[in-house]
Amino acid sequence: MFSLSYAWNELRRRLGRTVVTAIGLAAGVGLVMGIIGVSQGLSDAQNKALSPLNSVGTDIIVTRTVAPTLSTATTTTTTPSNGFGGGGGGGGGFFAGRGGSSLNSSDDAALAAANSSVITDLAKLGPAGTKFTHDFFVPGTLITFPSQAVSTVANVKGVKSAVGALSLDALHESGTVPKITASIKTGGQTISASVKPPVLSAAEQAAERTCIQGLITRQLGSTTTTIPGSGSSGSPGGGGFGGGGGGFRFRTGASSAFAKCLSPAQKAYEQNVTIPEQTVNEVLNPPTTNTSTSTYTVAGVNTSDTTSGLVTKAQLVKGAWLSSTPSVAKSQVLVTTAYASQKGLKVGDTLTINKVNYKIVGLVNPTLTGDVSDVYFSISNLQSLSTNAGRINEVLVSVANAKDVNAVAKAIKKALPGATVLTSASLADQVTGSLSNARKLANDLGGALALVVLLAAFLIAGLLTLSSVSKRVREIGSLRAIGWSRGRVVRQIMAETLGIGVVGGVIGIAVGSVICLVIGAVGPGLSVTSTGLAVGASKVSGLLGQTTSATVARTVHLTAPIHPLTIVIAFAGALLGGLIAGAAGGWRAARLSPASALRDLG
Amino acid sequence: MTQVLIDDNREPSPGEPLYALKGVTRSFTKGGVTVNALRGIDLEIARGETVSLEGPSGSGKTTLLQLLGALDTPTSGQIRFAGRSLEDESDSVLTDIRSREIGFVFQQFNLIPTLSAAENVAIAMVPRESSHVKRMARASDLLGQVGLAHRLGHLPSRLSGGEQQRVAIARALANSPEVIIADEPTGNLDSTNAGEFLALLDDLQQQFGVTIIIATHDEDVASHTGRRVRIRDGSIASDTTTAL
Repeated sequence: MFSLSYAWNELRRRLGRTVVTAIGLAAGVGLVMGIIGVSQGLSDAQNKALSPLNSVGTDIIVTRTVAPTLSTATTTTTTPSNGFGGGGGGGGGFFAGRGGSSLNSSDDAALAAANSSVITDLAKLGPAGTKFTHDFFVPGTLITFPSQAVSTVANVKGVKSAVGALSLDALHESGTVPKITASIKTGGQTISASVKPPVLSAAEQAAERTCIQGLITRQLGSTTTTIPGSGSSGSPGGGGFGGGGGGFRFRTGASSAFAKCLSPAQKAYEQNVTIPEQTVNEVLNPPTTNTSTSTYTVAGVNTSDTTSGLVTKAQLVKGAWLSSTPSVAKSQVLVTTAYASQKGLKVGDTLTINKVNYKIVGLVNPTLTGDVSDVYFSISNLQSLSTNAGRINEVLVSVANAKDVNAVAKAIKKALPGATVLTSASLADQVTGSLSNARKLANDLGGALALVVLLAAFLIAGLLTLSSVSKRVREIGSLRAIGWSRGRVVRQIMAETLGIGVVGGVIGIAVGSVICLVIGAVGPGLSVTSTGLAVGASKVSGLLGQTTSATVARTVHLTAPIHPLTIVIAFAGALLGGLIAGAAGGWRAARLSPASALRDLG
Repeated sequence: MTQVLIDDNREPSPGEPLYALKGVTRSFTKGGVTVNALRGIDLEIARGETVSLEGPSGSGKTTLLQLLGALDTPTSGQIRFAGRSLEDESDSVLTDIRSREIGFVFQQFNLIPTLSAAENVAIAMVPRESSHVKRMARASDLLGQVGLAHRLGHLPSRLSGGEQQRVAIARALANSPEVIIADEPTGNLDSTNAGEFLALLDDLQQQFGVTIIIATHDEDVASHTGRRVRIRDGSIASDTTTAL
């Protein structure tokens, strides 16, 4: 085959040539590693920024949104059809009324109830001077819907799993109950009415009879008519109108005249209504209050599913996950690292919300531009806190086959009229900025650049090897003379350059690692600009463009991660370079005839 | 002189010369000009002979040496070596013949500078012996035979000219060749080393009957051989055998 000791001695004893050629390969391999690392870093950053859904085990988010104007019937994201569940709602989808982007009556009621809770009744906060805090949870424009939607989505073909989530805005009020208040008592009045006419006295009866008689007389002229039950010798009481045979009709208009004959007791009709008495303390001079408000965002996650949801266990950076036991989870919350940093919170601290203490059991680091909230409760807990029992406002869907995301999204829209369905692809379309540009650049030029650099390294190694072989004409000629075949000489040279490739690969990986580390340490920031992408006080409502004017800009630090595959590629590249250089040198050596080589000896 | 270890178990064919050249020519074309280096050489060399090829520079002796060493093929004519015709053989066959039958000693020694003395001898055995250990063992024996047992691990740059030439001889003997071809073997040696080299050749020839062909300008070397062939303008000018 070839002589290993010969190859080893060539590498060892021609150290200068070995090192120079190896460094040539190493430079190429190191640069390629850097390029691959940057490309991978851009890809990772883009995935992080552009595909937040994937990082929470989600391919699709389903929400219920309402277009901002009444002309929503033309909204294209919905498919007008009969919403399932029937009901006589006001035209919305999701289990009531007709499909569409407008609300059905139950949604209307839920939305109104949720938002109407944002009233601070100072009277219930204690006497003047009492310090108070109060937290409200409102869905904003990301309205809630019955959690049955989860099972509906789960039944759509192609859906691997579906999990419900509740994402709400929270309003935190704190202050002192103001001194200037007035208690206003209202109600207490009683309105009564009787429906049973009183019994008429004999005189009243007689008066009525006389009056009516007179009316009849005036209407009939000389005709004498006897009022039934009013015989001349009849006694008072009894009788009444109607009955009897024969009779007459009053002319039109006579009824009002007839009413005049009624006794006063019969003309009155009374009903009694008692208004409950209540007292409301009202701030008489609002500017004197010191109530301050702040906002944060909260979300509910399914504690039994740690792999999909608005935040997943994989994103837990410190502490523990919410307990799967509801009674324990009821007093636990997770907090994002950003919010914890902002508020000086740590694991084990207590958050007091509406006089209830919640222990911070863990810190999470959700995706950059995804549906990030500040505080995470168990979903049942948040539903209870926010008076949204049985209601959610997001369904996070995992699709069985990534190729089917769009088809599944369409099927979900069909199954849930009125749904807004967001996929990673539709989210990515909203993103611009230098990250997006850099990624495009890396896609377009990165591969070509890496190839050019690698080819340059191969060329350098090949030329150096050619030069080396040219200086070894005497040696190679001698080998041929003493019985080494062309093939053996070529293999020997290739073994040597392969050895150089190994050395170059090792050095190159070291160089590439340093390049990647330096890029990671001092790499530039890349901006991400997205329309409607939610960060900070983020919500899916932002993701879905409901806050239509929201343009969010973030800076993503460029890193150049080193993946095992990159190292393998780098090493393989160095070996390939060595083989190519060896082939070049071997080709040169093989062309030497032993006689020519000896002639060159002079 | 130290005993040289050579496997000499060949059975030479009685009466058949080792070399038989008939009408051999060799011409080269350079820059459109054809140079006839050899012009119809007829020559026979018997086994065990020691032959010197003499002649001025450009006479064609090195070209003849290359043909005898199976390093080149003639433009025309026939070369028979050990019963085989060489003129039409492929490069791989000639390579195999060189590795089995022919040992070379060069004026510049042509040792591989990155290999030790022992490794330089062992490298010649690579085509025939796959075991590195066996190669190194035989190399050590051979170097011992040429008086370099104490210099096995030295690089050529650490050896004197005479020592390098001894290493080259040991390398030439590595595969127990039929013939040793030496091109100006004393050209880079002082008179003492040249004398020792000639004594060593005598020893090889006398003990094992190895055929030795030496191209030389050196009258002392030529006179040391039993047969002197003088080349002039590509032809044999004289071929004399002297009793030593």
